[in-house]
Amino acid sequence: MSSRTLPEFDLLLPQSIPEAVELLATHGGRITVMAGGTDVMVALKFSQQPAQLPEYVMSLEYVPGLAYVLYDPAKGLRVGAKATVADLLESPDVKQHYRSLWDAAQVFATGQVRNTATVLGNLLRASPAGDCSCAIYAIGGTVAFQGRAGRREVDIDDFWISYGQTARQPDELAVELVLPPPAAGTHSAFRRLTRTSEDLAKLNVAVQLRMSGETCVEARVAMGCVAPTPLRLKQTEAQLCGKALTAEVLERAAAAVAGEISPIDDKRSTAEYRRQVSGVLLRRTIRQACGVA
Amino acid sequence: MSEQAIVGTNAPRVDVRDKATGQAQYAADIQLPGMLYGKVVRCWEHAHARVKRLDLSAAAASPGVVRVIGPKDVTPKRYNSSVLDLMVSESMHDMLGDIDDQPIFTEHVKFQGDAICGIIARSEEAAERAAAKIVVEYEPLPVYLTAEASRAPGAVQFTPEKPGNLAFQLPEPMFPNHALGGGDVEGAMRDADIVVEDAFYVPKQKQCQMEPHAYVAKVDSGGRLTCWTSSQMPKLVQRKLAKLFDLPMNLVKIVPTVIGGGFGTRLGMISEPQACAMALAVPGHPVKLQTLREEDWVISPSRHPGKYWMKIGFKRDGTPVACDARFENYKGGYYLDASGTAFTAGAWLGGMYRFPTLRYRGESYFTNQGLTGAYRGYGNPQTNFVLEQLIDRGCAELGADPVEWRKKWHKGVGDDGWCPGVTYPSCALDQCLDRGAAAIGWTEKRRKYARQEGTIRRGVGVAVMNHTSGAMPMLLEHTACTVKLNEDATAEILFACSDMGQGSHTALKQIAAETLGFPFDHVQLSGGTSDVAGFDIGAHASRTIYVGGAAVKKACEEARRQLLERASLQLGVPADQLDIRDKRIFVKADPARGIEAEAITRAGVYHFVDPMTGEPGGVPGQIQGYVSFFAPHNSPPFGASFAEVEVDTETGEVRVIELVNAHDIGRAINPAAVEGQLEGGIQQGLGFVLSEEIDYDAKGRVQNNSFTDYKMFGPEDMPRITTILVEDADPIGPFGAKSVGESGLVSPVGAVANAIFHAIGIQFTEAPITPEKVLKGILEKGVRDYASIRGNR
Repeated sequence: MSSRTLPEFDLLLPQSIPEAVELLATHGGRITVMAGGTDVMVALKFSQQPAQLPEYVMSLEYVPGLAYVLYDPAKGLRVGAKATVADLLESPDVKQHYRSLWDAAQVFATGQVRNTATVLGNLLRASPAGDCSCAIYAIGGTVAFQGRAGRREVDIDDFWISYGQTARQPDELAVELVLPPPAAGTHSAFRRLTRTSEDLAKLNVAVQLRMSGETCVEARVAMGCVAPTPLRLKQTEAQLCGKALTAEVLERAAAAVAGEISPIDDKRSTAEYRRQVSGVLLRRTIRQACGVA
Repeated sequence: MSEQAIVGTNAPRVDVRDKATGQAQYAADIQLPGMLYGKVVRCWEHAHARVKRLDLSAAAASPGVVRVIGPKDVTPKRYNSSVLDLMVSESMHDMLGDIDDQPIFTEHVKFQGDAICGIIARSEEAAERAAAKIVVEYEPLPVYLTAEASRAPGAVQFTPEKPGNLAFQLPEPMFPNHALGGGDVEGAMRDADIVVEDAFYVPKQKQCQMEPHAYVAKVDSGGRLTCWTSSQMPKLVQRKLAKLFDLPMNLVKIVPTVIGGGFGTRLGMISEPQACAMALAVPGHPVKLQTLREEDWVISPSRHPGKYWMKIGFKRDGTPVACDARFENYKGGYYLDASGTAFTAGAWLGGMYRFPTLRYRGESYFTNQGLTGAYRGYGNPQTNFVLEQLIDRGCAELGADPVEWRKKWHKGVGDDGWCPGVTYPSCALDQCLDRGAAAIGWTEKRRKYARQEGTIRRGVGVAVMNHTSGAMPMLLEHTACTVKLNEDATAEILFACSDMGQGSHTALKQIAAETLGFPFDHVQLSGGTSDVAGFDIGAHASRTIYVGGAAVKKACEEARRQLLERASLQLGVPADQLDIRDKRIFVKADPARGIEAEAITRAGVYHFVDPMTGEPGGVPGQIQGYVSFFAPHNSPPFGASFAEVEVDTETGEVRVIELVNAHDIGRAINPAAVEGQLEGGIQQGLGFVLSEEIDYDAKGRVQNNSFTDYKMFGPEDMPRITTILVEDADPIGPFGAKSVGESGLVSPVGAVANAIFHAIGIQFTEAPITPEKVLKGILEKGVRDYASIRGNR
């Protein structure tokens, strides 16, 4: 059960990144960091057990300079900790160079949530269903943390530890996401299945392919809702690399998916169904990335 | 009938400005001096348990707490939160066996969310904090989630009044052998050439009204209890509360608040008893009780789920010979509405086709699911899902066109409607079928989609339905209405039946203005508190326009009669030769001769005798019309829905492309409002058939009592909608109107299921038809062309 009233906590309102980092260094694990609040507020209203409650909520509301989405052809895309999902949608660079992320952002939650929820928040929530998380995983990149000791960058491949757990240390502030610039011949796509349009995914998949002529020279495939964290399908990727993406290759890749995933029954679907359609969704996403409807 | 100036127009909604600008005051918005805040402590960990120990002391000592009340602090009387028992005669009540089995605070938890005790505090936060300090020890009991489980020998009895946990079955002697219908079903079935039969499951669907339930209650210094509530049935709630708390009705006042959606969930009471019990514990202080969405979800009734078996026999030429059916529904932990849906599901079945023999058995079993009660359609969507799919299976076996078969065999004027002996006075279902079929391109698409290739398959389906306009003769159909004319010839109407957002008060104002011959804006219509408004049973059974509208019309006709009589004296022309338009009374044969209505109403109120001559200035007395109206009929509306769907055979996903709702409405008082009702009905019907169901875990704890996990169709999920208003005036309804409030939801259910059948040749017996079920069906049975089914070959 939720509550109409929030539990008691102290609200911390740092005015700068150093101040935020200082607070984290002091209180560490007793702090819940809040940017958009779309996950934090829900969690607070539903977690009435004292053990689950934070002593402090640190809002980034007054920390300046974190709401950017910046693209540089040489360095790639930088997404600040306070950039919202809606900010991604307003960036023509994201639409042009990171199409899978843009597509994920477009169906992410609802309009109201997109206006408030942050991209980094979606990564830090460490839910296996995050749509932006799935797209970003397939693109690859790094998340930058700021601590007292300085800046630390973690590859997205090492970012999710387990359900709800990331590589962020309690005294670190996640400050930005950096996505590499797409190499020539890069194509990406994102698809998902939901119960109704405005919903969390029951299954989502993102692919990023680098093509040289007809041949796929590099592939990253990420799938959500099929494991405790977003999952990279490396065996499936291996089925694609070095090959022309013929119907037969796609079928083999699709068939490989079921062996890599470990879905469960939950409120949104069943393990059986997820196994049944995961390959189909992958095949369709690859075709979409290649521009074949 | 002369041409109408106001009825039939899209008059602006009377509630739209307040609602759009946030000025509408819902119960939760009410702030009163000295107000306290109530919190009902509920059992969340068990769906079935006994309370072994309840310790209120720590909560009572919590800061800001004024009182904590448990089962021993409130009346030991029990209640039935539904109001069906008030709407039948005493003898019928005894036969139906309705019982009062709900305590205000329970010691036997029968569903998750059952109320344990109440906290009254100076703030909501203080009440919440105190709630966490209530100590309850439970003895868990076995949890029964189905009828099979709860009727098993040795099962814990929910109430000694209902042995075997059978809350209700159609009673003897009204229903011989506990069955509705008649004729030798088994014999006729033996003689049938084609028999179709299956066991279905119909889902537990939630109304999902926008406004969570909220109340304010207060006891004043004279001991009078006032309750602010958004119940759909304020007058019956007044009587229910008076009975529960042993108060004369004049000491119970109901203030109806703006209703943020009902769809049946406010039919009767939800937490009025708890709110009033708290107010009685702190006399002089208003107590506000609000529910959370997740709380509202479990404490307010849902649609009745359950098993629905049906068997239909046909002759080779398509003649239906027998229908045998049994709906075994899963009640929640208490009795409310156990009799209603179990009966009506069969009543709609009996009202649809000319089955020469019919046997329907309806039973309600207690379970530990959340409560079940009224939800828009009230048993009809359940029947539609089952009946209409089996009819289409029969049509496929027979090689019959589903539209043509329905046109041939549906009931119509002169046939018995849902109640034997009450015949249909009007029926425009053939027109609905013809116009709907044309709108969706039925003939061409049925042929085209009967043979397809590829992973994406399309299909079109049809379903029909009959409903009702009010519940005469099964239930009381009584509405009192007063219209008083002000001295400036404007009208004020007092009418207790609530507007739940469906536009009923707007349409009623149109009926009043039309009848009086006054402009729309010169008529005021107020629900009024129970002090002021006359009797009315409330907004349910799609009755507000058909019954309430007839009452408003009659009251206005009475006022109009008096007005014309006085005008007749002045003009020297018989009253029946006069008419009123725009507040001017004129001679029909000579419209230039007339008198302003205001001259008469003013003279009636400001009446003087000329001191010079001693002559009276007109007829004295304020004109008022009053009626205590009992509906003479239930003029059922009919409807036909056509759906086009696309089925993804690799994922099982179903997309509804188009939905045509052609509806036999008699007469649209406000066409835009009627279309709105039909479109809203489609949204909920699509949810029933494709996406909505409340889930429980094995312990009876609800898994999706929020919009995060209970999925209704949103704007992007909705298909292209075409609504067709078939206006063929009913001889009884006001201005020819029949109902439209519930019925738009019903036949989209069957139409979508049948469109899926047409697309992939598979029928699904469990609603909602989710992609998971579709894909399973495809993997087990294989996609097949509709054209390959026996009768179509």
